[in-house]
Amino acid sequence: MFERFTVGARTVVVAAQEDARERKQAKIRTENLLVSLYRDQESAAVALLREAGVEFVDVEAEVERLASEDSTPDAGKLALLGIDFEEVRKAAEETFGPGALERTQAGKQRRMFGHIPFDESSKKALELSLREALRLKHKEIRSEHVLLGLLHAEGGAAHHILAAKGVTLDGMREAVAGLGEAG
Amino acid sequence: MADATAVAAAASSKDPHVGLAAVAALRGLQEALEELQVGNARAQGWSWAQIAGVLQVSKQAVHKKYRRLGN
Repeated sequence: MFERFTVGARTVVVAAQEDARERKQAKIRTENLLVSLYRDQESAAVALLREAGVEFVDVEAEVERLASEDSTPDAGKLALLGIDFEEVRKAAEETFGPGALERTQAGKQRRMFGHIPFDESSKKALELSLREALRLKHKEIRSEHVLLGLLHAEGGAAHHILAAKGVTLDGMREAVAGLGEAG
Repeated sequence: MADATAVAAAASSKDPHVGLAAVAALRGLQEALEELQVGNARAQGWSWAQIAGVLQVSKQAVHKKYRRLGN
């Protein structure tokens, strides 16, 4: 699916993973995608969000609040035992090379060592961004389609953050359609 | 730092969920490290018996668990 994403939209997805990691979340959630839309201030998605009265600070505050409710990832749990996971990783990589822990079966199964998976809602939102692009007969998935996907994915926090600001899927669809392919 | 506060709070909590999850994370780390070490030992020509001896487990157990790493 990602082959259809523009560079801009891919950047949003990568930024969402970084955002989830920085907030020490176990999974990437829709609100991480939403806040990452603001990485590129020049993007159509940001223009649409601003027009709808949704500013970065509002989203950021909400994301921060939700992150504090998230379950602690493995590195955090190990810290409870007095183990500094980053030190263990460093030692393992010095001996066995970069990504050594991630390559083991346990590393893959637990996804404990850096790779953060998408949760159900954010996966759904990304799938829906493809569907929204197809619906508008747009060939590429751009950041504004990711925004539509986030609005469409009703189970996600991004949907609720936007709905609370009065942003609707239908209204945003119209706005995105108005941009045309060039937007 | 928020992290340290959270850690301190959790460490002093008697919530089984917190403690058990920490142990599970530790087991995951232990498994990963064991696989790296066993793979390295095999690559250096160690026998399963030698590896089992140092790991303090049975030869059968270590072979069954890690034969997927290659002979």
